[in-house]
Amino acid sequence: MNCSFTEKVSSLVDGELSAVEAREVERHLPGCNECQQLRADFLNLRTHIAGFETSLKPEVQKRALEKILGTDRRVPVPRLRWSFGSPAVAFATLVIAAAIIGLLFYQSFNKNDRNQEQVAQQQQQNPAPVPSRSTEQSKQQQPQATPEPAREQQPAPNKGAEETPRRQPPRKIVREPKPGEQFAVAPDPTPIRPADAQTLTAMHFEKSETLLLAFRNVRLNEPGTAKEVDHERKRAQQLVLQNMMLRREADAAGDVQVSSLLESLEPILIDIANLPDRPDENAVRTIRQRVERKNIVPLLRVNSTALARALD
Amino acid sequence: MASEDEEFTMLFQDFYPSLCRFLECLLGGRAPLAQDLAQESFLQLHRTAWGTMPVGEARFWLYRVARNLAINEFRKSHTRYRLFDRVVEVMSPRARNPEQEYETQERKTLVLEMLQTLPEDQRTALLLREQEQLSYREIGLVLNVSESKVKVDIFRARASLRERWNKVSGLSRYAGVGNS
Repeated sequence: MNCSFTEKVSSLVDGELSAVEAREVERHLPGCNECQQLRADFLNLRTHIAGFETSLKPEVQKRALEKILGTDRRVPVPRLRWSFGSPAVAFATLVIAAAIIGLLFYQSFNKNDRNQEQVAQQQQQNPAPVPSRSTEQSKQQQPQATPEPAREQQPAPNKGAEETPRRQPPRKIVREPKPGEQFAVAPDPTPIRPADAQTLTAMHFEKSETLLLAFRNVRLNEPGTAKEVDHERKRAQQLVLQNMMLRREADAAGDVQVSSLLESLEPILIDIANLPDRPDENAVRTIRQRVERKNIVPLLRVNSTALARALD
Repeated sequence: MASEDEEFTMLFQDFYPSLCRFLECLLGGRAPLAQDLAQESFLQLHRTAWGTMPVGEARFWLYRVARNLAINEFRKSHTRYRLFDRVVEVMSPRARNPEQEYETQERKTLVLEMLQTLPEDQRTALLLREQEQLSYREIGLVLNVSESKVKVDIFRARASLRERWNKVSGLSRYAGVGNS
C-alpha cells in the first residue's frame, strides 16, 4: 500500500469523509488500481464480517429475557436497614435518644457544679483549718519552704490554670494546720483529672520516700534531735492530707495498687505527724520498725518510678 | 413499571442477537459464553441503569459493558481456551465432512480465526463498525477513545485482515460469494 489515499479509502467505505474529501478520493480512485483493489477488498471483508451469523436459538433468548425480568431491580448491594417501621416511630426514637443524651450531659455538668458548690460551702463553714487542693499542691511542690503561721490566703487559681493540668498553680501560703486539727475535717476531694492525679501521686510517693528515709536516719539523744524531728513531723503533716485525698482518688478510679500503698503509708504518716516535740526513743523506733516491716520505702520508689514513666 | 418492562423487552429483542454475535466474534467463537455475557450485560442494564438513561444511549452502554465482560473473560480463561482451541483444531471433523455442507461453517470459522489475529481494540472497533454500523463517534463513545484513534484502528484492522486473507487465499475464493 504505497498510495497516500489508502487510509482515506477506509474512511470512504465507512462514509466518514467530508463531502470535499469524498469527492477528492472518488476522483482519485479511477486512476489508482491499488486503491480500487483496496476498496473492493474492504467491502468484501465487510460482507463476511457483517454476514457472520450467530447460532442463537429462540428459546435461549426467551429464557434469558425471562431470567432478567424475573430478577429484582436495584437490589444487588446489601445495605443496612433501619427497622423503625414508620416515620413516626423513627422520629419518636430520635427524640428519646436526644433526650437521653441531653440528660446525661446535664447530669455531668450538674455534678461538677454541685462539687464546686460543696467545696465553697465547706470553705465558708470551716475557713481556717481546711486547706484547699491548690494549697496542698503548692505545698507539695515546695516542701522545704518553712511554713509560716496565719497568712492571708491568696485567691483561687483562675479557670485557665485549671484547664492546663501541667501548669504549676500560683504559690499559696496558708496557715499550717495544728497537730490533730487537720484530721477533724476531711477535705472534700475535687475532681482530679487522671494526669493530675498521676502526677500528684508520683510526687507524693517521692516525697514520702524522702521523708521516711530522713526519718530513719534521725539520730536520737543528740543535740539537734528535736529540731530534726520537728522538721520531719511538719513534712508528715503536709503529706497526710494529700495522702488521704490521693487515696480517695485512687479508690474512685479503681487503682487498687496505688490505693493499697497509700493506705499502708497513711498510718505511718499520721504517727510521724503526731509525734511530740521531744519524741520518746521507743515511739520513733516503733515507727521505724513498722516502716521496715511493711517494706514501704522500696514500694514507694517502685511506684513513683512507674508513674513517672507512664507520664513520660 | 409494566411500560418499562415492555420497553426493555423491545430493546432486548432488538439487540440481544446482535450483542451475542458481537461477543461471539470478539471471543473467537464460544457461542454459549457469548450468550451468557450478553445476558449478563442486559441483566446489569436492567438492575442498575435502566430507567435512568435515555433508551438511545442504552445500546452504547450495553456494548461497553459487554466488551468489558469479554475482556475479563479473556484474562480469566486465556490459557484454558487456548489449550481448548488446540484440542478442537486437532479433533475438528471438518476434513471428514462434505465441503458444500460445511461451507458456511468453514467461512464462519475463518472469519473468527482472522478476527482473533487482531489486537482487541482494533477487533472491537471493526466489529462495531461492520456489524453494528456504529459511526466513528459512536464507537469512540463505546470504547472511550477519540474518533481519530477509531479511524486509525479500523484502517489498521482492515489492512491486516486483508493481508492475512490474501495469504490464505480466502478472499479471492469468497469474493464471489460476497459480491453476489
